[in-house]
Amino acid sequence: MTAVAAPPVDVRSGALSGTRDLVRVALRLDRSRTIIWAVSMGLIVLASMNALNTRYVTPESRQARATLISSPAATALAGPGYGLDNYTIGAMTANEIGLWIMVAVAIMALLAVTRHLRAAEEDGRLELVRSAPVGRNSAVVAGLVAAFVATFAVGLVTFLGLVAGGLEVPGSAALAGGVVMVGFAFAGVSAVTSQLTAQARTASALSMAVLGITFVLRAIGDVNGPQSTSVLTWLSPFGWAQATAAYVDTRFWPLAIGFVVTGALVVVAFWLVGRRDVGTGLLAERLGRPAATPRLTGMVALTSRRQLGAILSWGFGIVAMGAFVGLLAGALVDFIDSEPSLGDVFPAGANGAAAGALAVYTVFLAVTTGAYAVTAVGAARAEEVATRGAAVLALPVSRWRWLGSQTGVAAAASVAIMLVTGLVMGATAASSLDGGVSVWQVVGAAAVTLPAIGCMLGLAVLLLGLVPRALAVIWAYVTYVFVVGLFGAILPDGTDALSPFTYTPQLPAEAMDWPPVIVLTLLAAALVVAGLAAFRRRDVVG
Amino acid sequence: MTDAIHIRGLVKSFGATRALDEFDLSVGTGEVHGFLGPNGAGKSTTIRVLLGLLRADAGDVSLLGGDPWKDAVSLHRRLAYVPGDVNLWPNLSGGEAIDVLGRLRGGLDPSRRNELIERFELDPRIKGRAYSKGNRQKVALVAALAADTELYLMDEPTSGLDPLMEAVFQQVVRELADEGRTVLLSSHILAQVEVLCRRVTIIRAGKAVQSGSLEELRSLRRTTVTAALRDLDGAAAALPSANGVHNVQRHDGHLTLDIDTPSLGDVLALLTTFGVDSLTAHPPTLEDLFLREYSDELATLGVVEGSR
Repeated sequence: MTAVAAPPVDVRSGALSGTRDLVRVALRLDRSRTIIWAVSMGLIVLASMNALNTRYVTPESRQARATLISSPAATALAGPGYGLDNYTIGAMTANEIGLWIMVAVAIMALLAVTRHLRAAEEDGRLELVRSAPVGRNSAVVAGLVAAFVATFAVGLVTFLGLVAGGLEVPGSAALAGGVVMVGFAFAGVSAVTSQLTAQARTASALSMAVLGITFVLRAIGDVNGPQSTSVLTWLSPFGWAQATAAYVDTRFWPLAIGFVVTGALVVVAFWLVGRRDVGTGLLAERLGRPAATPRLTGMVALTSRRQLGAILSWGFGIVAMGAFVGLLAGALVDFIDSEPSLGDVFPAGANGAAAGALAVYTVFLAVTTGAYAVTAVGAARAEEVATRGAAVLALPVSRWRWLGSQTGVAAAASVAIMLVTGLVMGATAASSLDGGVSVWQVVGAAAVTLPAIGCMLGLAVLLLGLVPRALAVIWAYVTYVFVVGLFGAILPDGTDALSPFTYTPQLPAEAMDWPPVIVLTLLAAALVVAGLAAFRRRDVVG
Repeated sequence: MTDAIHIRGLVKSFGATRALDEFDLSVGTGEVHGFLGPNGAGKSTTIRVLLGLLRADAGDVSLLGGDPWKDAVSLHRRLAYVPGDVNLWPNLSGGEAIDVLGRLRGGLDPSRRNELIERFELDPRIKGRAYSKGNRQKVALVAALAADTELYLMDEPTSGLDPLMEAVFQQVVRELADEGRTVLLSSHILAQVEVLCRRVTIIRAGKAVQSGSLEELRSLRRTTVTAALRDLDGAAAALPSANGVHNVQRHDGHLTLDIDTPSLGDVLALLTTFGVDSLTAHPPTLEDLFLREYSDELATLGVVEGSR
């Protein structure tokens, strides 16, 4: 007698079945990303250490730096200020550089988790995986493990970079441990937000909001209570990490708080996973309008609506940086006076050190605005690739109008961001410097960079028109402009020849010079027109 | 009257791939024309050339009497397009997307818009990022069908729609046809094309392999006849050698055979000599016509003919 044998009962039938295989897949998916993050962070740490080691050789120069960094505006962007009375390179690294590594790792970790947990679900990949003999929690575990591994890799490279930069081992372990802890904590935050919304974008935005709030809590806390004495500092993972007082008192127990909180967040995430269906979020998607308002008519209105979030977030960030620069201007002038070697970086023009510093920072903010303009062109390309471009171009909308409107909105937003930034930076600088620089001088300095921003925008449009697939190359150019804009004065002659900011008069340190401004304006216009003409002549892909 | 669409010898290459290779297509004004072919045969490329999104490498293309590349904007006032793969703006609701597209066209009739939203049972308040595939498709359908135009270019317009919505779609297309509007319907839902279209073009690897009215195409094919005969043995012996008869099979007292359309009368006369008890005849379906054009490909795919 023959009988169909019953398949052997699979012993893997729990909520965590198949986890090991999924972890392997997740690690494979993230491999190159993790390596790029770790290598870049390592290079940044090494470069920063090198800069600190060469610039702050004498105790006097380090103490001058301590005075600068203890001002409220600087504290908000640095740390709780351990060891300011004996500001060693280690104390300086922990206080000023640590925070930015932590922010970068936090962003990396939170995006990794939403990518694994929510984007996979949104695209339907998770459904395929879950139909296999795989437990309900396995995918969550796999995504978290991938984020933890990436965070740990960056932490390890950071540790090695710090030690290679000549810092002692226990302090480096505390600082790198803080970096890892912050990454874990934001992975935990994202594990929870990924259960709340059905869209990866929204989940990432929620996690970023948590990051922003905890960043601000720490900033307010540190300004009000130096050396982690404010309650607000202790409400933020950044505060816990910096409370280790690496290289000064070096203590490890504050890290435990972060790891306990991470564990709690993961438990909450698992609990939420069991309470919802695949493909849904716990927060209902808000409904929109059933019909468009009359204002939502035409390409400019459509583009503005699409880009509003990007314009506001870039604009807010750039204006806020302008405000910080303005508030710091007073302290910065004292610092430059006590540290003559910085004269290379901040060329003192006819109007003194403050004007020189404001000119350099204006270029920095202008390049950042140019980076926004480039992302706006990238958004036009994304419209094309997502076939929304074809849907609109199949209407009586010409190629000129489609791309021209999007370029126009990017240009108008750039102008608005720069003028508001100039106004805010001018007002704050005028108040912190008591005299020497007027608001309108700074607004003028911001305005005179606009043709150079236009050139960056124009180059991006030209690339989009000629070789859309290579549009990402523009970011190499943005990086180049950024580097030569900030360090042009100390780089070999001629390396900055391809940056439009090289030809922009550095107001308010230098005098106004019209011919280059006019030439750059014409060049920007020519680039945009050439890009639009090229776009008219090519196939629309996607 | 000139054709709404007239394509002769159209060539379009992407790198080394020749997506369209001397492709021909004619669509008469007021006609609902089926455009058949599997994925990658060149249907979407053809429609994108007609929309002026892609530039033809060679060949003549005329759309509503104009050049789709040079006169894109003015021609687009007179046509509407339904893409097969719809992506909506994530932060706009479906209703907003329909209105934005309609206004870029120069305005849309609100009563027609609302009627279509109701017929397709679309919730216009949902944000683009939250719609399912089928609902995104409905947004594109409402946006295009609400336009009052002469020509509709539809690229697999009902992918992701359920059978009820498919029926609504067919009804709306019939109404457009009754009003004398032209429709180019690219599809691989053969039943849909068979119901809606009087003429079809089958595309294969960038070439038109068949084009004509469904009757013409059917006449090129065989009718399948199944008959219960009194003298089954005699018929089974005589018929295989008769002119125009193929694939004679005998089972359960019935004889099944395929007959070339020109020989249909002669073979039926021959059949009656064996004493017919019952007889059914099936004209070839569009599926048969289509799959016959792809029979060699089916063979490579390991599909046995007749097992479908």
